[in-house]
Amino acid sequence: MEIQLADTVRSFKPRPSYGWCWLILLAVIIGALGIAPALALGIDSTNARITLLISVPVTVAFLILAFWFPTMRYELSREAIILRYGPVITYRILLKEIRTIRRKNLTMTIWSSIRFPGIALFKIPYGNAGEVKMCATSALNNILLIETEKEKYGLTPDNEEEFVAAVRAQMEV
Amino acid sequence: MIPQIYVMSAITLLLSLALWGGFIYLFSGRTLRYFWLLVLGLPLSAIANLYIKQQAAIIVGQAAHVQPGLGLAGPEWFVGFKVLLTPLVEEILKISPLLIRPAWKMVTSRASALWVGLVLGVSFALGEAVFIAYAVAQNAQYASIPWYGFTGYLNERLMTCFTHGVMTAVFVIGIKRGGWFIPMGYLAAVSLHFFLNIPVVLYQLQWISVEIVNIIAVVTLCIFAVIFERLRRSVYDANEAENSHEIVYMRR
Repeated sequence: MEIQLADTVRSFKPRPSYGWCWLILLAVIIGALGIAPALALGIDSTNARITLLISVPVTVAFLILAFWFPTMRYELSREAIILRYGPVITYRILLKEIRTIRRKNLTMTIWSSIRFPGIALFKIPYGNAGEVKMCATSALNNILLIETEKEKYGLTPDNEEEFVAAVRAQMEV
Repeated sequence: MIPQIYVMSAITLLLSLALWGGFIYLFSGRTLRYFWLLVLGLPLSAIANLYIKQQAAIIVGQAAHVQPGLGLAGPEWFVGFKVLLTPLVEEILKISPLLIRPAWKMVTSRASALWVGLVLGVSFALGEAVFIAYAVAQNAQYASIPWYGFTGYLNERLMTCFTHGVMTAVFVIGIKRGGWFIPMGYLAAVSLHFFLNIPVVLYQLQWISVEIVNIIAVVTLCIFAVIFERLRRSVYDANEAENSHEIVYMRR
């Protein structure tokens, strides 16, 4: 008889933040800037059309990201930590590949993907850590940095000590 | 009824202050100590445009028997002179607040030179936004446009705050380094400014469309962002990296 071991997955929530407000604010500003020329010049204007063509997808993207904000979570399975944000982020960190886990305040560079107060997503270059794959509710402060040989990941579990203890326990199994 | 450009100008000033004020605050180590410098550059654009540049064009024009008000219809050398005049005058004028002792005393290191320069440049750009709004308000051609029709002005002015800031930072860092770096910093700032103005001149000559100008503006902004980041790294204080406390949970 073949016995299949159940792969239990524990899910951890991120620290609460108002990062979603920034996404909505940005969506509103970009949307307003996109619609205003069309209102003023009419939709026949080439300028108004180009502006709409650029601003509408960006506005929609920010709104969708804000909608997915509550789906941010960190899953711990027997083999890996999985960082999730809607369907757009699924970072899988194999436990056996983890070299360091530390909490750190990161320093900014001008370059970014999605980084606002209270939210940081995707790959972001930091001054004191290099490129970090972020799935966090903080842009700079108290980031739990998990480093593997190839990548660095930034996350912000709500109960950091419990999360780290669970990861360490799973690594020792 | 007040000219509609003034409504957009007020929005532009608020957004620029929020965006670039926040940017400077976050990048300079969450300090407010450079912010008072924002006041000093506000009248400089009006001074440059109403007095210095105009007078310089009149003096050179009279000496060469050229009417200074001909615009692009003037002789090529005179058009070239007027295009060069803007960066030559403005880059000097933007750093003039450093003649005030408390302002100069803030330039204690290359890092502080970067932030002082950036704030003075942003300040100049804020004043320039008001001056341009004033100039637009005098033109009856724009009187029928509602305030939300001036988003081009808003976008351009938001970007210009940053580009003016970077150019001034280049010069102030040069001044802080001293010696040959002072004229080199000035020349670098003037060159960047000249490079920035080329698409506008080409548009005025009707060689390129406004869409091309907008695309170039975005590319230019990216180039200036690269310059800023390089400047910032070159003056980067190593202590900044070490200031953050770190807790190591696991290492193997």
